[in-house]
This record gives sequence, C-alpha cells and structure tokens, in this order.
Amino acid sequence: MNNAASSHIRSLLVVSLACTSAFSKAQDSLRLSISLFNQSTAIPYTRFFTTPVHPGIQVAAELDLNERPRGRAFTGAHLGYFFHNHLAQGFYIGADLGYETRTTIGISFAGMLGLGYLRTYATKPEFILQNGIYQQERDRGNGRIMPSLSLETGYYLRPDRHSSQFFIRYQSWLEYPYSPGFIELMSHISLHVGVRFSIRRNTATQ
Amino acid sequence: MMRQGFILCLFLCALSACEKGETLDPGFYACTFTAADSSADHPAHTNFMDLLQAITHDGAPGVLMSVNDPVNGEWSGAAGMADLFNQVPMKPCNISRLGSTVKTFTAATILLLQEEGKLDLDDRIADYLSGEPIERLENADQATIRQCLQHSSGIRNYIASAQFQTASLNDLIRVWRPEDLLAYAYDRPADFAPGSDVRYSNTPYILLGMLIEHIEGMPFYKVFEEKLFTPLGLTSIRFAAEDNVPDGIVRGYVDLYSNLNVIESTYYSGWDYFTADGGLIGNPKDLGRFLRALTNAEVISAASLAEMTTWRAPSEVDDSFFPIQYGLGLFRMETPWGEAWFHSGDAIGYYACMTYFPAEGTSIAWGVNGNYGSIDEATQTRPAMERIFDTVFP
Repeated sequence: MNNAASSHIRSLLVVSLACTSAFSKAQDSLRLSISLFNQSTAIPYTRFFTTPVHPGIQVAAELDLNERPRGRAFTGAHLGYFFHNHLAQGFYIGADLGYETRTTIGISFAGMLGLGYLRTYATKPEFILQNGIYQQERDRGNGRIMPSLSLETGYYLRPDRHSSQFFIRYQSWLEYPYSPGFIELMSHISLHVGVRFSIRRNTATQ
Repeated sequence: MMRQGFILCLFLCALSACEKGETLDPGFYACTFTAADSSADHPAHTNFMDLLQAITHDGAPGVLMSVNDPVNGEWSGAAGMADLFNQVPMKPCNISRLGSTVKTFTAATILLLQEEGKLDLDDRIADYLSGEPIERLENADQATIRQCLQHSSGIRNYIASAQFQTASLNDLIRVWRPEDLLAYAYDRPADFAPGSDVRYSNTPYILLGMLIEHIEGMPFYKVFEEKLFTPLGLTSIRFAAEDNVPDGIVRGYVDLYSNLNVIESTYYSGWDYFTADGGLIGNPKDLGRFLRALTNAEVISAASLAEMTTWRAPSEVDDSFFPIQYGLGLFRMETPWGEAWFHSGDAIGYYACMTYFPAEGTSIAWGVNGNYGSIDEATQTRPAMERIFDTVFP
C-alpha cells in the first residue's frame, strides 16, 4: 500500500477513535467485546465454517449513537490478530458502524460495516531479492486496507440494556491491495464467537 | 487487566507463529540420475550461462535449462539456488515440479491407446466414464475425447473458480483428490458448446486421466511409466502421486505479493498430485528428450502426430503473448524465430516449459523453482521467452 493510502487510513482511524472518545464522554456505558474467530480465505456466503482452523482474536469497544427499546445504532473500534497457517499472520485495527435490533426474548441481529488497517507478516522465513540475489531478511510486513461487512446474531442474558450478550458473527472482508498485477484483492471470512458486556460509568443517571 | 491479557495473548501468538526453515544437508540434493554431458564444451555455453544468470538476477530463485540442436547436441545448465534457506546452489541434474507439461504425456498416452485400438478420439468420453463427473460437468456428456484433449470441450476450468483459488490458499498443504477438484466445476455453465471454440481447461484432463485408468485398469501415472517414462529412458521423470515431495526435489518459492519477497512453497502443490492435468516431477533435460522423441514420431505414430498437431486458433487472442494455436496436449506459437511447439506448466512455486522448433530441430526446456507475482516476468512472459529464444538463436 502506498504511503498516501496508508496515511489516509491512519487518519481515518484517528478520527474514528477521537469520535469514539468524544461519544464516550456523553454516554453512560461503554460496550466491550472479545471474540475468538476462525479466519479463512473464501468467497463470502459460500462457506460458513472452514478447516483448517486459522485462529484469531479480536477486542472491540462500542458506543451507542442512539438507542431505542428494540434497536441501537453504534460505532466502535476494534483491534485483532489472526494466524493463517503456512501463510501469514495479521495484526489489524479498525472502526465500525453498525445497527442492532433486539427481540423481546433477547435474541439480537446486527449488521456492521468496518474499515481498518491490516499488517501481515509471513509465518516462515522470507527471502528478498537484493541486487539479483535472494537474501533472508526480517519481514517488515505488508500494509493493507481491510473493508468488512459483518452479520451477527446474539443473545442477551438479561432483559436490561446493559446485559451481557453472547454472539456469533459472520464477517466478510477484503485484503487490498493483495498482489498488485497478479491478485488485486483477497477475499476472507472470519467466523467469530464472542461475548459483549457493558462497563457502566458511575454517573448520576445510574 | 483485560488489555494486558490481550497484549500477552498477541505476543504468545506471534512468538509461536513463526515456522523455521527446514534444515537440509546439501547431500539431500544429490542427483539420482546420470546427467554427465559435454555442456561446458558447447559453443554457446557462456551465452547460455549468462542467460540463466540474468533470469535469476531478475527474480527466479533458481533455473534449470536444457537445449538440444542437431548441430551442437545437448547443453544443460543451472543457475541460482535450489534451496535459499540452506544456500544450496542449483545443479543441472536437479529435479523440479513440471506442472501441466504432463498434459502432453496424457495426450501421447491417449493417442497410443487409440493406436492400440482401445479407443477412438472421436468417441464421447461419456462412452467410457459415468457417474457424477459426467452428470454434473456441463458438456461432459457430449464432449469427445479429441475435444477434451484440444481444450474444445467447453467444460469449465476448475482452477478458474474463485472458490477453488481461495480454498487452495486456505489449506495450502491439503492433498486434493480428483473428485475434490472436479466439484469446483460441477453445475457450472460450460464456456461454449463442444467443438465451437478452444479455451484452456484443466478439468477435461482430469477426465482423461480417469479414462486412461478405466481402459488400462491401473493408475494413469503407472501407464505413463510403462508407455513413456521407461521406454524413453526418462530417468528423472516421475509423477507426484508416487511420492508427493520426493527426496532431492528443489525447494519451491512464491512471490505471492508481487514484490520479489518470496516464501518457500515446496509443500503447497497438493492439488495436482493425483490428476492428469499436473503433478509431473523431473528435470527439463528429460522434458526436451520427450518432446524431441514425440515430435520425431518415436513415441506415437506419424499419423497420431499429425492428429496431435492439427492446430486450432482460439477466438480470444492474448495480445501479451505470441499468437498460439491449440493441438492435442500441445500448443503452437508463432515467434520471430519461427514456429514452435510447446507446453508449459505451473505448480505452486514452480514453473516449467518445453519448446520444440521443428524447422531447426531444436528443443529448449527450462524449469524454475519460483513463480507468481513478479517472478513470472523473468520466466514465462513473452519478453522472458524472447530473451531465451534470442540467446539460443542469436
């Protein structure tokens, strides 16, 4: 990824995190989530769970933009890592915008759009051509844009809006650029299983 | 606390994630067949070695090449590395993956079976095979054996499926069976009606391998051994099904991100271990020997060779390459140095090409232990081939 694009993404993340921080001052609670996931290269919606398992972990923070009895719009930021066997490991950071609707029996459905920055590193020795000779060098990684679309279903343990929630998330995402002039982008899916919970602030409203 | 735990987890993951290179003694790459020749005395030896050095300088980890012409005889050479991690130089006698060059062997075997009266090229392949492949591959019930050989069956190429490509990347060391691969072409529209055009497709060659097994009652690669490898003395040639990663095979490398930063991929080629569309292993010298014998009608009859070299041009022209025409398991290209018959092949981390210039009686075969991304520009594009042909025919 060129420097301009990389700079653009970083700027976007800074703005996103700043907004999240600003919102947090106006909110009485922050929702945190942690999920374990199985990452794969796949065409979205043609596969659900794939093998071999390429494990990953993600933590995220969310703030409600507005909240109604049966739904909420939210924004958030996430940080994650995955390990794709024999190929690459990736560290990523990004921002999300989503909407969740909740039924009277505690089942929820959500959709999220995300945009992030991914940095991947080879999981085995990398050899770099220098002056016509391949030499083993430390992998400095490859930067990518990481747009994503996630569909999620969950279950709230209690009726109140601060209840903890278990969820399953089907995330489709792109790795771009992947291999310029060869494979322009790579399609991935990540199947998350996680838990979301609220951290209440000690305010007068509580 | 949660943040600390997460960071710790990340570090543990990252620390445990790195695979070490496989330590191999240089003796691992000792040649298992005789390759003694007088290459050093060949009048073009220096030029050829300069060519190989240029190919490796431009991104091929290692390269093997064999040139044979009626005047100067055989020349074999190598440059670069057989193993980057262990810093083992490539030797002219090393073996590499030869990928789809096997399709010419498949076609020659089918033509031999026709000569033996066991089939007719104009029979439908469905006359011999049945079940899911015939029922679920569009056009498979109508396509003739000849159309399968000439890529004119219209049967969809499983390798072109984005689902297959992502699935193979997802499980890089999976060993695929024919039915696993065929599934990626099942229930997909054919590219065109049988016989109405030509377009490269691996899928019919899986069927042709099954056809050979159906007729001969043994694995197709055993038939290759009996009819081709052994009679022609192709001592370096073998098929991956018998030993997926044989001792001595040079390490393969991929430039997955088009930046000439490569990783090893020796164990990534499991999709072509058991099908007749790929999976060949050997030395380019034997590829050249096979192609010369084939085109001199020493393998198949002159009549069969005439069928094999009845060319057909595709409706879609690739302007970035030489004009090509399709034969039966063989291609014809028009180059500034004259007409050439050829077949090339990729495996993951490997590339090979065998060419024969009938007017000159010259064969050129080369193998590279690297591909994809920017490596291909030095080894298999039109400019890469022009550099090779220009050196051989100065």
